[in-house]
Amino acid sequence: MTLRRRTLLRAAAAAGTASAAAACSRGEPAVQVAVVWSGTELARFRQVVAGYGAPVRVVSAGNDIDAFLRARHLAGTSPDVAILPRSGLVVEYARRGWLRELAPAASYAVPPGMADLLATDGRRYGVWVKAAHKSLFWYFRSMLSEPPATWDQLVAITRRLGARARAGIAPAPLAIGAADGWVLTDWFENVLADIAAPDFYEALARGEADWRSRSVRIALERLAELWSIDGAFPGGPRRALLTQYEESVIQVVHHRRATMVFEADFVDDVSARFQRGTEQPVTFRFPGSRAADRPLILGGDAAVAFAGSPRGAELVRWLSGGEAFQPWLRAGGYLSPNVTVPLESYHDPMRRALAAELRDAESVRFDLSDRLPGPFTGSDGVGIWRIMQDFFADVTGGVSAAEAVRRATGQLAAAARAAGGGR
Amino acid sequence: MTRPVLGELAVLDDVGPPRRGRAYPAAGATSALLLPALLLLGGLVAWPVLRTLHASVVTDGRWVGAANFRAAFAAPGTAAVVGRTVLWALLVPAVVTVLGYLLAAASRRSQEGGLVRLILVVPTALPLVVTGVTFRLLYDPDPQRGLATLLLARLTGRPAEQVPQLLGPGLVTVALMSAFVWAWVGLAVLVFRAALDAVPPSLGDAVRAYGGNRRDVLWDAQWRPLLLRTVAVVFALVALGTSRTFDLILVMTPGSVRDEASVLALRVWQTSGGTTTGEGAALGVIWLAAVAAGMLVAALFVRQAWPPPRDPGPVDPEPAAPPRRSIRLLAAGAALAWLVPLGVLLATSLHRPVDAAARAWWSTAPSLDSYRQLASGPELWRTLGFTLVLATLVTAAVLGIALLAAYPLAWLTGPPAQATGLLLMAASVVPVQVIAGPVNEVLGAVLSSGTTRGLALVHVALGIPFAVLVLRNAFADLPAEQVRAVRLGGRHWWSTLRLLARHNRPAVIAVAVLEFVQVWNDLVVGLLFSGPGAAPLGLFLAGQTRGFVANSGVLAAGSVVASILPVLLVVLARRQLVAGLVAGGVR
Repeated sequence: MTLRRRTLLRAAAAAGTASAAAACSRGEPAVQVAVVWSGTELARFRQVVAGYGAPVRVVSAGNDIDAFLRARHLAGTSPDVAILPRSGLVVEYARRGWLRELAPAASYAVPPGMADLLATDGRRYGVWVKAAHKSLFWYFRSMLSEPPATWDQLVAITRRLGARARAGIAPAPLAIGAADGWVLTDWFENVLADIAAPDFYEALARGEADWRSRSVRIALERLAELWSIDGAFPGGPRRALLTQYEESVIQVVHHRRATMVFEADFVDDVSARFQRGTEQPVTFRFPGSRAADRPLILGGDAAVAFAGSPRGAELVRWLSGGEAFQPWLRAGGYLSPNVTVPLESYHDPMRRALAAELRDAESVRFDLSDRLPGPFTGSDGVGIWRIMQDFFADVTGGVSAAEAVRRATGQLAAAARAAGGGR
Repeated sequence: MTRPVLGELAVLDDVGPPRRGRAYPAAGATSALLLPALLLLGGLVAWPVLRTLHASVVTDGRWVGAANFRAAFAAPGTAAVVGRTVLWALLVPAVVTVLGYLLAAASRRSQEGGLVRLILVVPTALPLVVTGVTFRLLYDPDPQRGLATLLLARLTGRPAEQVPQLLGPGLVTVALMSAFVWAWVGLAVLVFRAALDAVPPSLGDAVRAYGGNRRDVLWDAQWRPLLLRTVAVVFALVALGTSRTFDLILVMTPGSVRDEASVLALRVWQTSGGTTTGEGAALGVIWLAAVAAGMLVAALFVRQAWPPPRDPGPVDPEPAAPPRRSIRLLAAGAALAWLVPLGVLLATSLHRPVDAAARAWWSTAPSLDSYRQLASGPELWRTLGFTLVLATLVTAAVLGIALLAAYPLAWLTGPPAQATGLLLMAASVVPVQVIAGPVNEVLGAVLSSGTTRGLALVHVALGIPFAVLVLRNAFADLPAEQVRAVRLGGRHWWSTLRLLARHNRPAVIAVAVLEFVQVWNDLVVGLLFSGPGAAPLGLFLAGQTRGFVANSGVLAAGSVVASILPVLLVVLARRQLVAGLVAGGVR
């Protein structure tokens, strides 16, 4: 899940009202689009839809777009189009009959498997419009000469740096924003994607697999192995549980109290604001079991059209084409899920490289927690976010790995059952 | 949502025995005056409450009996949540009441007393969101930023990693409670001060003359005649206020400790969000029942504890001696302590955004960069403008509708008066989270869901019961001769109404100020009902707390800007507030 939209202000809907008023004055009512974005992202998206032939009114629904859309549906005032941050929502809405079936533009092509996430019963109800690459570690070359290529190397480096950090002679190896549950689920998804067979990962996401099965246990054991290393986190694990995502980035790029921080491509947004000196942070991929195994977890936003709005479906079709997002590509900070978008159109070198990775990746897994049903999908203090935070507190608080894994898998299975999936 | 309602004093008093025996028949035409208030309350409070009751016993339209309640209680942590809610409702009011009495007594009749009370009153006017921001800054777990953590590290002599974390799972509820106490003590001080001032000093002299010691004076000259009841009122008021800790929890707790801080308000919202179904509705009904029961108990208690108030007569002109020096020092010390969080907020806002996030506010020179960044974006101006217009319109609407409705109600006496009093009180304590879903349905039916008009309607509906109560009480207390003179003069009802409003200016001002401040300071109504065009201030601030540390400079600057108007209003109007509301209860 993209974080920026969570952190930025939802108040930025201002311009939307203004542009809507302008649109209405031209006669035909504007197509209404509800988005989760705010701040810079919202401004960029406005530039994008400015290129659409008809007037479009963009409204920022803020972080809780689900509650917003449910209330609007209840009141019978649903917008024409919505951009949803979780594929699970698309499926949920489609099953309730709220959405209109879609046909994307001819130039719409996303990495294998991704399109299926927005379909139910063989019908397509959404198209991907923005992607997030969620398998990156960020660090400074001057602080880490040789980034780890495998999981074991990551553990070894963490042990070595952790020992030095305990002695007070070096920064801690890892910054982690464990106060935000989604950071921990992103960790878990990367490890799981490396360990589990793709089929199992997908089955888990669909609620058809058992959360107590071996792959989940091994993934959690791996995390326990790394997270329980003494001195792994600046200020200790209790402090890490009160550290939010942005602060974990600040610990690396500003204070240099930690060497590496794991998260998505959008880390650059925070690091640009807080980094000191001229050295730019660089990335390495989340390491897998072998150097050749590099799990790739994608997150993203999907556009849907509401039932009874042919104009909405038209706009979504236009958005799915490779051309629509050119203004955002030029401005930077945007990664397209559409692999037909030429790499040259990326003006932001990091994202150009990531777009190339997206093309070459053999196996792409999509953010698991975003696909879970109901409250299991997680928010502050709820669902899988909370379970992973409990697990983090357990393994860093002296509970044995075996016991912590047993507790976590039990909670996961129970939450999956309560949400109506899983076994 | 916070409703720092000074006037619940007057409100609670009203359900006591009828004290006004004006047998003015309500003119038939004036019943129509009740219509706007009835429509709003019926549509946006009463009907939604019924819908929630209904939703708690059905699932997808099927009758399921108590299944939702069982499921809600079977969910892990529900027992702890209920226990914590009860703890809030008992412990916090006790602390606020004791502190409020001590500080009111200590700050009486001394030169610096006025200043002390002024300082204590400022936090009561702040939006709870701002209080949350302030205390999260103060309690930051990093000793390089959080003053409290730094002091704890110094005091305990432990390294930073082992200092008790005020925002950690063990202490987070204590941290939240401390913020709440900070915000509410000023209210208790005001009420106690009004009560103490109403006690004639000669009563204490009389007790002393009969050989009573200090304890006897306290007991016979303060507690028995007045304080018992005031304590009951303050306790009930704060206890009802604790059911609205929602804003504070949302702002102050990182996700990892939210469960450890959770109370029913939060659980209901987490379970059902903007809709009200199943388990969320069941929890809501439990909450509703608890609030209603608390209100009834408070009303009964007040009624028994307080024989019909008699006129205490003019306060003895002879100035009594100020409290002892040590006690005055205590009051001054408390005022200084109360200033610390405000200082932290102000100091943080006076740092560059990067510095505010990365280092201590005491370690760098002040700068206006955070304010500059805040002011350079369009969001701040838009949200200030929006909130100003919204609060003004809502206040005007509430005042108008409540004046109309209070007029006919003021003539009621006996049981009907008590019944309307209780009903209005019940309506004013309904937690809005509990009825969010049905309210949205109703708004949908009038094409207002997700619009600014809908948001304003909800605010008006929630503000009316309290405003009607206060104005009705004030009207009913107007000397009968004056009313009679107007009526005998053969004038129209609106002349009478104008006269009533003119003679009850403090009550009108009090209602207007409280309503304005309440809408200005709101978070939860905006969170549940604002649509895309709306930009209420509470949401603007709360939205930035997601990345709390990274945004702390701009957030602190925004908090300061957001607090100026409510603080000014409450401080300037505090005499009218006391006169219009508190004094009304003691009269």
